[in-house]
Amino acid sequence: MRLAFWLYEGTALHGISRVTNSMKDVHTVYHAPQGDDYITATYTMLERTPDFPGLSISVVRGQDLARGESRLPATLQQVEEHYHPETIVVAPSCSTALLQEDLRQLAMHSGVDPEKILVYDANPFRVQEHEAAEGLFTELVKRAAKKQELTSKPSVNLLGFTSLGFHLRSDLTSLRRILKTLGVEVNVVAPWGASMGDLERLPAAWATIVPYREMGHTAARYLEKEFGTPVLDGIPLGVNPTLKWIHDLLELLNARAPETGAGELAMPPLTEFSLDGMSAPSGVPWFARTADMESFSGKRAFVFGDATHTVGMVKFLKDELGMQIIGAGTYLGVHADWVRQELEGYLPEPLMVTDRFQEVAKKIEDEMPELVCGTQMERHSCRKLDVPCMVISTPTHIENYLIGYYPILGFEGADVLADRVYTSCKLGLEKHLVDFFGDAGLEYEEEEAGAVTATNGSGSPEAAASVAAIDGDGLPWTPDAEKMLKKVPFFVRKKVRKNTENYAREQDLETITEEVFRQAKEALGG
Amino acid sequence: MMSEPGLTPIIKEDNVTHSFCGLASVGWLYQKIKDSFFLILGTHTCAHFLQNALGMMIFAKPRFGIALIEECDLSRPDPQLEKVLEEIKADHHPSVIFLLSSCTPEVMKVDFKGLATSLSTPDVPVLFVPASGLVYNFTQAEDSVLQAMIPFCPEAPAGEKNVVFVGSVNDSIADDLRSEAEALGIKVGGFLPESRFDRLPAIGPDTVLAPIQPYLARVVSRLARERKASVLKSLFPFGPTGTRVFWEDLASMFGIEADLREREAAAWQRIAPQCERLKGKKVFLTADTMMELPLARFLKNAGAEVVECSSAYINKKFHARELEALQGTRVVEQPNFHRQLQEIKRDRPDIIVTSLMTANPFVGQGLIVKWSMEFTLMPIHSWSGVFTLANLFVSPMDRREKLPEFDASVWLKGVMPSTEK
Repeated sequence: MRLAFWLYEGTALHGISRVTNSMKDVHTVYHAPQGDDYITATYTMLERTPDFPGLSISVVRGQDLARGESRLPATLQQVEEHYHPETIVVAPSCSTALLQEDLRQLAMHSGVDPEKILVYDANPFRVQEHEAAEGLFTELVKRAAKKQELTSKPSVNLLGFTSLGFHLRSDLTSLRRILKTLGVEVNVVAPWGASMGDLERLPAAWATIVPYREMGHTAARYLEKEFGTPVLDGIPLGVNPTLKWIHDLLELLNARAPETGAGELAMPPLTEFSLDGMSAPSGVPWFARTADMESFSGKRAFVFGDATHTVGMVKFLKDELGMQIIGAGTYLGVHADWVRQELEGYLPEPLMVTDRFQEVAKKIEDEMPELVCGTQMERHSCRKLDVPCMVISTPTHIENYLIGYYPILGFEGADVLADRVYTSCKLGLEKHLVDFFGDAGLEYEEEEAGAVTATNGSGSPEAAASVAAIDGDGLPWTPDAEKMLKKVPFFVRKKVRKNTENYAREQDLETITEEVFRQAKEALGG
Repeated sequence: MMSEPGLTPIIKEDNVTHSFCGLASVGWLYQKIKDSFFLILGTHTCAHFLQNALGMMIFAKPRFGIALIEECDLSRPDPQLEKVLEEIKADHHPSVIFLLSSCTPEVMKVDFKGLATSLSTPDVPVLFVPASGLVYNFTQAEDSVLQAMIPFCPEAPAGEKNVVFVGSVNDSIADDLRSEAEALGIKVGGFLPESRFDRLPAIGPDTVLAPIQPYLARVVSRLARERKASVLKSLFPFGPTGTRVFWEDLASMFGIEADLREREAAAWQRIAPQCERLKGKKVFLTADTMMELPLARFLKNAGAEVVECSSAYINKKFHARELEALQGTRVVEQPNFHRQLQEIKRDRPDIIVTSLMTANPFVGQGLIVKWSMEFTLMPIHSWSGVFTLANLFVSPMDRREKLPEFDASVWLKGVMPSTEK
């Protein structure tokens, strides 16, 4: 038994509801105690859904258990009467899974057409969000997909786009724009916006695109095996991966051209992929070569997230922006092998695989990187340490559900990511000036900085707590040593303080004096 | 005027959905009781709920956590919490640890009482708090927390006549209530809960218990039984009328005759513009926080037409005065959401008071919505809360009027593809 405060992955029910909330005419009935439909709020609040997600709960109350009653049949009837879904998914929660009720029997005798009911009883103690979502989606695809003629024009399925996915809408738009430029039609996007009828049409596509490792893969492999639909599973994140992805796609599609008698697709001029149709499709290759970006060669980055975005970002930072990767990790243990394989040669140390945010925070605190790419939790941890952080993966916060166009995938995604890296990090020339002249007039009093945070709404308790936490395990400094520390540029001060204290601890010194500080500077190379 | 239970018929339906379980109470109670730690024996679901639905982020040292039941723990009916407790004590030094139950250990038939007793030490008691969604809704687990603290409230000797307010409110509301009582000549014994566990109020046969939150029926009746304390049976102190009746009734229990009608009239006068806006407006309250009865009564007094007041739990005795004041209003306990949805679509109320889960979907249907949860987190008690209370209902209407016309067929396109035709 362990003490948990916060977890990266959601529950199996959360995964199931992500699929349900994505799809048309699919309704999920949770067989669960009062309150387990809290998940509804993640859709209505984060995605601001203007209608009700297809989720109902057949409430299990203690008194019903005592009487041996189940509300499941009545709930199924009500769902049928009010929503007329095409498919009803029935899922137990963690507590009701232990009751060993026969949900299939109950559903079968509910009076609702058993053909439309799918009991999906993933073990909530073993299966988590991503696996449950992937498993349910595959089940639905297997139920619906039917053998049929290929579309007359080259077309693809886009699988894995799921409610609450990271920058889901923008990524979909970005890939749609590329496909349009290539003259490739989109046969079906699923599960986002798809009905069971759409899943039936999946085998009509010439190829299946699955850009996310976590979602859509099993279904894509099923379509490949059953219907011969080839799979493109590269991640078009960054400029060169996007170019390669486009070439691979054309190759896949052109290989199928003879079956349909259609002509081969050709690679259009790259300018056609740009927003205005006459520029480079991305600014990243030139941006990375410009003079002030040279300082990025010395910047150390740490990446932590799901499988897809961890792999994509490590490669992007190293290959396209020329940054140093000091380490990476993922909270998705089931995909760890794939991440290791993809990042072969990229990491100076073994991949970190953990679902404990405290371990990740500790790593960041020990390394004090110049950039962290992580989840909402790493942003939170980095705020306390004053380490620049950008969010690149779920789990996220409502501030990651913005209404603007901020793709991660494709050419436009590369531009967005490069901009975010740039604005997250401390900048080039400015940094030289600060390093050389100390504060360079940029410094504001720490007290004042505290006050600024305090007015910033929810930031205040954390800020206060972080100061206390850092003071809590730090060594005492003499006033003279503090004065010396003040001469260090403000944005590296915390790091210098920490390194100096580490040095002192190694030397068994209990107080940081001017002399100790000087020794530490020498020992640590300034 | 004594109430006659049963005057306002309560329609009972099958269940509450789209609302939280009792663990939600942790969200405000850990902040209220500053030397406490709230330990939930629960699963991934409990953790996910707290971190997502309640939007709680982990500060440097959160004072709540989950002792996580994982697959390997399912075979053991006696959870080993010693290590977890050591960790909590070392990091947080709490004066008390509340051990909350949740659905899975309830199904596993964990002996929580025995567990809490065996983990308690003289320095740091571990108190069992039933909170699982199998029995408890949303605010209801506050009742359980307060009951768990009863043995730690000192016995007040006979003859020590004062009022103890029951219900967690923030310090500024507590100060308000205290000074209001003192101004009326009522001696204040304290609050249950106080902001520290080691400062619980003494309760005895001459204590008057004044419940200030409408979801605390059980703790109040238990204190009346165990400590022979008397209980104020009045309206809850929300809105001008509720506040006047509350203080007048409380004063009379101390043999003080208070006539607060002028003060009530002045309070209504202060919110006259808001009442003008609420007049004749159809308001529908779906069940969520169990604040619904007094809110509906305030709306009715303010001139609105309450078309339905639903609540998760109604206690005919504890809520007698509110029910009496709601005569003629449709009151539903444990409402069926599908039925409510149909009626709302048909009758198009002017305002819906509803949960986080349903707010935006109702707005998407062109309706005006107020989040019910805000009433549990805003200072709406007594005289100083009147203005805030009235504004909470009026501000969504005002905002809607300020925003330009909205053509849903244009501006909702693509927002939720799963519901598009």
